[in-house]
Amino acid sequence: MSLEITEPTPVIISEERQVSDTRRELVLNMGPQHPSTHGVLRVRLTLEGETITGCDPVIGYLHRGVEKLGESKRYAQFVPWTDRTDYVAAPSNNLGYVLTVEKLLGIEAPERAQYWRMIMAELARLASHLVWLGTHALDIGALSMSLYCFREREMILDIFEKFCGARLTTNMMEIGGFSRPIPPDLPDMIRDFLAVFPKRQREYEDMLSANPIWLARTRGVGVIEPDVAINYGLTGACLRGSGVNYDVRKAQPYLFYDRVDFEVPLGTHGDVYDRYLVRMEEMRQSLKIIQQCLDQVPTDGPLKLAESNYVIPPHDTVLTTAEDMQRHFIWVIKGFSPPKGEVYLAIEHSKGELGHYIVSDGSPIPYRLRIRTPDFVNLQSLPYMAEGAMLADVVALIGTIDIVLGSVDR
Amino acid sequence: MSDERQIAAMPRPEPWRDTGYWGPTDPDAHPAVRAIREQFPDAYIDAYSFRDEMTVRVERPRYRDVIQFLRDHPDLQYTMLSDETAVDMLRLRDDPRFDVVAQLYSLRRRQRLRVKTGVNDGELVPSLVPVFAAAGWLEREIYDMFGIVFEGHPDLRRILLPEDWDEGHPLRKDYPLRGYREYVQPGFEAPAPRVRSRLRRP
Amino acid sequence: MGVIENRFEHNILTTTVDAVFNWARRSSLWWLQFGLACCAIEMISAAMPRFDMAERFGMLYRASPRQADLMIVAGTVTKKMAPVVRQLYDQMADPKWVISMGSCANVGGPFDTYAVVQGVDQVIPVDVYVPGCPPLPEALYYGVLELQNRVIKYDTIAKKQGVEAAEADRVRAREEAQAALGVRR
Repeated sequence: MSLEITEPTPVIISEERQVSDTRRELVLNMGPQHPSTHGVLRVRLTLEGETITGCDPVIGYLHRGVEKLGESKRYAQFVPWTDRTDYVAAPSNNLGYVLTVEKLLGIEAPERAQYWRMIMAELARLASHLVWLGTHALDIGALSMSLYCFREREMILDIFEKFCGARLTTNMMEIGGFSRPIPPDLPDMIRDFLAVFPKRQREYEDMLSANPIWLARTRGVGVIEPDVAINYGLTGACLRGSGVNYDVRKAQPYLFYDRVDFEVPLGTHGDVYDRYLVRMEEMRQSLKIIQQCLDQVPTDGPLKLAESNYVIPPHDTVLTTAEDMQRHFIWVIKGFSPPKGEVYLAIEHSKGELGHYIVSDGSPIPYRLRIRTPDFVNLQSLPYMAEGAMLADVVALIGTIDIVLGSVDR
Repeated sequence: MSDERQIAAMPRPEPWRDTGYWGPTDPDAHPAVRAIREQFPDAYIDAYSFRDEMTVRVERPRYRDVIQFLRDHPDLQYTMLSDETAVDMLRLRDDPRFDVVAQLYSLRRRQRLRVKTGVNDGELVPSLVPVFAAAGWLEREIYDMFGIVFEGHPDLRRILLPEDWDEGHPLRKDYPLRGYREYVQPGFEAPAPRVRSRLRRP
Repeated sequence: MGVIENRFEHNILTTTVDAVFNWARRSSLWWLQFGLACCAIEMISAAMPRFDMAERFGMLYRASPRQADLMIVAGTVTKKMAPVVRQLYDQMADPKWVISMGSCANVGGPFDTYAVVQGVDQVIPVDVYVPGCPPLPEALYYGVLELQNRVIKYDTIAKKQGVEAAEADRVRAREEAQAALGVRR
């Protein structure tokens, strides 16, 4: 660190200018360090009085080059980086990537592993929605909501920690299933959580759903019409809040979502309040899915596709048989070579459609790895919602899109 | 419950093959491929499938027209642009260098389709913004990462990298992973010295 | 001390003004509410009911850098963000401290790419490094406690040895840094 004193470079640009004799407009900078931009989003707002006439989101303050990194890592090596793209729902990201690679390889994990993947992905959806609810309510003014939401989120993080040892960046899924055994008391932990959570969720709804301040700040704000939402490519609750029925779990089921019974909540008005209701109902449906998975999942059976050459051999046979030791050596040193081709697989992430697009040239390293994150596309609708709205609504609009900047910028 | 057990016990014949999420796997039987072939005989190059996915390659000048046709066709209705991205094919073929890839989704028919077009450095690709508003930022990202210029895009600026980034386009295959130089703080001429202990690999 | 010893009631304690100030600084480190990436979520978790870092250590998050004593750099510092981090640091009032939280802020972490600054210490001086990807809230606790040990010893050279000594020390540090930098481009 050099101690030279230098003038700080001005980054913040705010200016006021006279547009005509009667109109003055103010260019106001919001972020990247702003308590309610959920990280490092920066928005340049053009204001006329308190009405927004222009809105230009500036992103990229967390661009870390994950896609370029993916093109330099072997397939199995890249899983930890998927955690860090959307860090509030890391297991869902693992799932999206791992499923895409499995599709490229043409393999499927055993049934028990698939069920546990579903459970973990739904728990991740709950954790992500809790972060969303806490921060969204905090931005609008209900500080205590964030305290309540993070209390329940800790229960989910405890389950993750029990399962894989990490709280946030879990790195729990692998190509072909799970390496780690399921801890014997894990189902009971999840059942305890399922018993507690509905009561807690009613607490949230008691606090928010009929709260006059909450209604005044969210109803009729940020309306997106269904056709506009489709045109903007919105997915997740942003699309379903407008009443368009698109959920990848229903439309193109992956894992065993066709075996469980759940409903897709839809909004009618397309405003912030409807998206709030949709997400609250989604949390209830997630609980339902987890309950059914726990009932259906076989209590014993393989967790990993052991016989495939694409999958790391199980630990016990590596130490006892010669073939598996050789396979293990080759798998670790050289990786595996998938067939040539390209795959795109979308899963329903907590924020919308998470797609991975992998182009393989037959080498152990992906030729091109593209991560289509839902919030990057969803955030694009912010100018549409913000123009004509009031300045104070911007925090509600940013909150309702449910962005995570690591996922937006990758 | 016993029925479900039976379903679970049956092995799926070939994983990821017969999902039907992308329509028929035979290009000749695929309705979108046939419609493109009839409507744009000069622009259609070929169509192929991998796993269950169908990819159509079209000529660059008609790229937007094909996608608009797919969106507006009453029997196809690919009304949603899931993703648009590019691939640098530098090490796979000589010409053209880049592929611009659009993933379409039909909300009504619940099917996907991938449309590709090739472009060389310095050539223009018709922008999809008049067709899908979603393409706005996706194309800005392609421009930022690959340097592909879209014709008709209203606001083609860098999006993820700083606006004054002068080191090229990072997702090109000839760009090194670590970039060309370390971070230099404004007002300084050289990067800050790194403190390296003996344990650290050189 | 000797002159005023035993001349007051029992509840009176004599000390130096510096010690009182440092005690107050240590016990109310207000930190800048400023999250960059994954570590920010763990930082929020640390401030939330279960870990309760905010109330337990007298810490409070402030949205404005003008009111903050402590900057916790939680997450990856990219080349686009680094000038902003520097500007926020310059806006904070002295005395100020920096905790670098997580591998990304320490050394760049797993992101050794074109867009990432390999360590926030290339941009601002760092007092305490907390390792982990991301560090657990307990690890952040430990970092904060280490920082408190440092804050209680806070002293300026100007106060001890005069303004000239401070200036000489600054010049010496700058020359050392320039020597380490080598020949300028």
